[in-house]
This record gives sequence, C-alpha cells and structure tokens, in this order.
Amino acid sequence: MTYYESCLHSLPEGSDSPSRLAMAARRLGYEGIIICNHTGFEKFFRPDAVRSVKGIKVAFGTEVIANNPRALRSRVATARVRFPFVAVHGGSEEMNKSACEDPEVDVLLHPEEGRKILGIAAAKAAQMNQVAIGFDLHPLIRLRGSSRSRWLEVVQRNLNLARKFDLAITITTGAKSHFDLRAPRELQALAAIAGFESYEIEEALKYPARMLERNRRKWAAPGVEIL
Amino acid sequence: MRSRLPVLRMRRRYIAFQVDSEEIVPPRKLAAEIIYAQVSLLGDKGASVNRLKLISFDGRFGLLRCSHTRVDENRAVLATIYSVDGIRAALHVKGVSGTIKAATEKYIPKLSLTIAETSAENDERRIELEGVSGWIIHSYNREIDLSPDEIDRTKGSDTRYLGLTSFDLCGGCDDADGTADGLRQGDNGIQP
Repeated sequence: MTYYESCLHSLPEGSDSPSRLAMAARRLGYEGIIICNHTGFEKFFRPDAVRSVKGIKVAFGTEVIANNPRALRSRVATARVRFPFVAVHGGSEEMNKSACEDPEVDVLLHPEEGRKILGIAAAKAAQMNQVAIGFDLHPLIRLRGSSRSRWLEVVQRNLNLARKFDLAITITTGAKSHFDLRAPRELQALAAIAGFESYEIEEALKYPARMLERNRRKWAAPGVEIL
Repeated sequence: MRSRLPVLRMRRRYIAFQVDSEEIVPPRKLAAEIIYAQVSLLGDKGASVNRLKLISFDGRFGLLRCSHTRVDENRAVLATIYSVDGIRAALHVKGVSGTIKAATEKYIPKLSLTIAETSAENDERRIELEGVSGWIIHSYNREIDLSPDEIDRTKGSDTRYLGLTSFDLCGGCDDADGTADGLRQGDNGIQP
C-alpha cells in the first residue's frame, strides 16, 4: 500500500506541527505525507523533528498562490528548485488555465473553488503538460446542505472532463490539523459518494508517491535523465 | 424483536470507531450529530436503508450498528463529522464485525484512557519555543496539545489548541520544565 496524503498544511499555516501530522497519518495507515503550505507560509515549524517519527515518509512541498499568470510562473519556477512537489492553488478561470499550461506544475488543486468547471482548453493543456487535477474533499466534510450539493455538482463535471482527457487525479483532505485527516478507506468512501470509481480512487491515492519519485530523479531536459 | 422466519432476519454489521476530540464528547450529542450527518449526506430515504444506531460510547471508543450492505456509505457518513456540539472532533473507523462481542474484543481496547484522565497531570505547564508559546492542555504518549498565547494561531484551522509532539520540543529550546525535552521523564508512558 503506497497511499499518500498529498496536501497538508502545518504550522504556521495550520495548527499542527509537521511531526504531529506525521504521527496522526501513520496511525491512519498512510505510507507517506506531503506537507504543502501556501505561498508565504513556507518557513515550516521544526521540519527536522519529522525525522524522529519512524514508519512514515514525510516530504515538503508548496502550494503556490498568485494573482496573475506572470506571478504564478515566476513563483512556480522558484518553488520548483526548492521543493520536490509543487501544487497550485486553483480557483479562478485564469489561474486554472495558466497552471495547466506550465509543465513545472505537478498538481492543480481544487480548480472548482470558484464554482466554475475547468474548461476544455485548460484540460487539454493539462493533458499536454502532465498536470494532475487535485480534488480537495474538505468541502464535502465541512459543508452541509445546498452549498455541498453545488460543490458536488461542479466536482462531478470536472471529473467527467478529467476522464475525457485522461488526466491524472489526486485526492486530498487539505488538512490543517489532525482533526481534518481521514484514513484512506474513509477517503475512498467519501470519494465514492462524490462519484469517483473505485479504481480511480486507488490510482489517485497512489499518484503523489509516483510523482515524488519522478521529481527526485535528475532530469537534464524533458525526457532526458541523468543517471 | 426477533422475526419468526430466519430468512427474513435483518443482517447487521457493527462498526467500532474511535473519536478524537478536543474535549469530552457527550454520547447523546454524538448520536444526534451522527444522525444529522447521515440525513444531510444521504437524505431521509438513504438514512432509512442504513439503519444506523449508536450502541455504546465510552468517551473515546464506541460501537455502531448498521445494515450489512451499507458499511461503505456509513464510513462516508462518519467521515463527514466535523464537530460535535461545537467541539472539534473526528471519527475514525477501527473495524467492522458481525457481532457485538467480536467487534468489542477485536477493536476496542479494554483499558482506554479518556481525555480527562490523560490531562490530569498536565496543569500549569508551559512551553516556550521560537514562534510558539503556551500552556499544555493534554499530553498523550508523545502527542501534546498546546493552548497558544496568541489566539490568532489557530484561526485558519478552526481548532482551539495547537498539536505538537515531544519531538518538536527536543533541542534548541529553553527547557520548559527542567528536563531536556520539556516533558517530565517517565511521564505519560515515555521511557527516559
């Protein structure tokens, strides 16, 4: 089982230290976690302490926020050098599209946040640049009633687009504390409610591990690896 | 009530779960929250098929009964619980079994500590690290809940306390209460 929880937020952004998140995730049965604080919170609280937590792999990444495409490109380029995992905080149509057009981006997170679907142009670009679509299930846990059903509808449409263009999918809870974490089987049950097929969920939970492994290798140019 | 015909008997599964929460959760409030979450997620009709019922709950571990074909839906229902009566909480399924006896023996530990018991000795202890300072509220094994001095710290994550571990306290900080890692040696089951 190589399940990874891919986009957690630790202190100073969330309320848990990286080692506390690691311990909680280990208890729930994850093999590894990736801690991705948003832009501006990248100075993690005691990142060395996670080495003392045995039995789980912890990687640090970042989730880039930007207001315009130019800022996004430059922030992604600087983040790429520092971190093995670079996600982009989606939302507006413009940001979704420019994130999908950047091959340096690993995952575009919650593109449905602005209540808009991804768009065919963005989905095509994501397919070309191998950008995965990250579905954040936090609204499914947090919201109730009509706002949740609206969210489910948009997610369903994005999922259809991802299936059509054969995009990679990841699933996360976007946890900011150990109370937000859910076990892999609980995530599977939640995602099944949101309309995911079981094999898609399985792939989605394994995807971050593959991505990390690929990013840690040395690439000279696209498709050329230094051995 | 027992049906006369064995083939018409309703089959059941028992879900053993654990509650992580900031304070002690009252069983009645938990049962109400589960029912509310279930109706909200699956609707009245889905809830009627589920037949979810809280059997027992001791403050940390509990047992639920449900229909044997609807275990996955019930997992999803339990996963959507965010807070109980305003107390931040999370339910984690420990296991599923066909009888109360098997579920209890397999998944519910005989000696389970409630939050009140774990926090009994932690009054009036302080941690001061760079960037984080506050009073210890609970500590359980290596996990420490800290009430921060700046309330804004926990604003974004909607929790009351900061979650740390004793690993965070090791090295590079002033001793919180005279020991190297800020915890009394031999305290809370940690071997010196």
